[in-house]
Amino acid sequence: MPMLVLTRNANQSIMIGHDVVVTVLEVRGDQVRIGIKAPRSVDVHREEVYAALQRANREAAISNEQKLAALANVPRPISKPKLGDTKKP
Amino acid sequence: MTEVTEAVDNAEHNAQTSTEETEIPTLEFENGLPGFPDVQKFALIHTELAQEPFSIMRCLDADDLEFVVTPPALFFPEYEPVIDDSTVSRLGIESADDVLLLSILTIGDSAAEITANLMAPVVINTKNRKAAQTILNDQELPIDAPLFTESVTSSSQTQG
Repeated sequence: MPMLVLTRNANQSIMIGHDVVVTVLEVRGDQVRIGIKAPRSVDVHREEVYAALQRANREAAISNEQKLAALANVPRPISKPKLGDTKKP
Repeated sequence: MTEVTEAVDNAEHNAQTSTEETEIPTLEFENGLPGFPDVQKFALIHTELAQEPFSIMRCLDADDLEFVVTPPALFFPEYEPVIDDSTVSRLGIESADDVLLLSILTIGDSAAEITANLMAPVVINTKNRKAAQTILNDQELPIDAPLFTESVTSSSQTQG
């Protein structure tokens, strides 16, 4: 996607679509404080956080049960009957 | 991987022949999942390898897409995420009692390598089955918290 570049001063805004408003609140050195008004249906995230989550989800996605071998013998937080104890309460 | 034992092979075989129980018919992720924006329908199921407290969250509109999930409270009793208002309103949540919170797990080669995503839990409204994976901003939660402490896993690991 091409990038549109706009110059804005503090307290000036940009409209994205009909209902997303991005406002430059404060510029201090390398840091810029930005306010975002968006409808609830629009997710707003810091880009690096979202990218990390995309990576984590792709890594967590399993395409078959093979990777689940590690689950077979994990310690469970729920107490289980001991081996050989076949009686049920 | 030497840890994959005969028992696991049997379990895998069983998983294909056993009946799989659906806990909640269909979960609707209107906004998809980060990394998978186009998938919306999932079902929670148990398989031979994913028994309580684990479940498989299986995608119904993509082939071969599954996640292992678990309620985080069992493993992280201190974990008390604050779900933001926009997620609450988008999912139509009216009571905290209607919420099922699940963490997506990344499964490594051994139990010690299993991690839970505490930064972005799956929030489910059990009343209407709307669901979303929500990012907990500014709560400084890890994306890859080890599910087990070292002491727990070291006693259960089999070293060849």
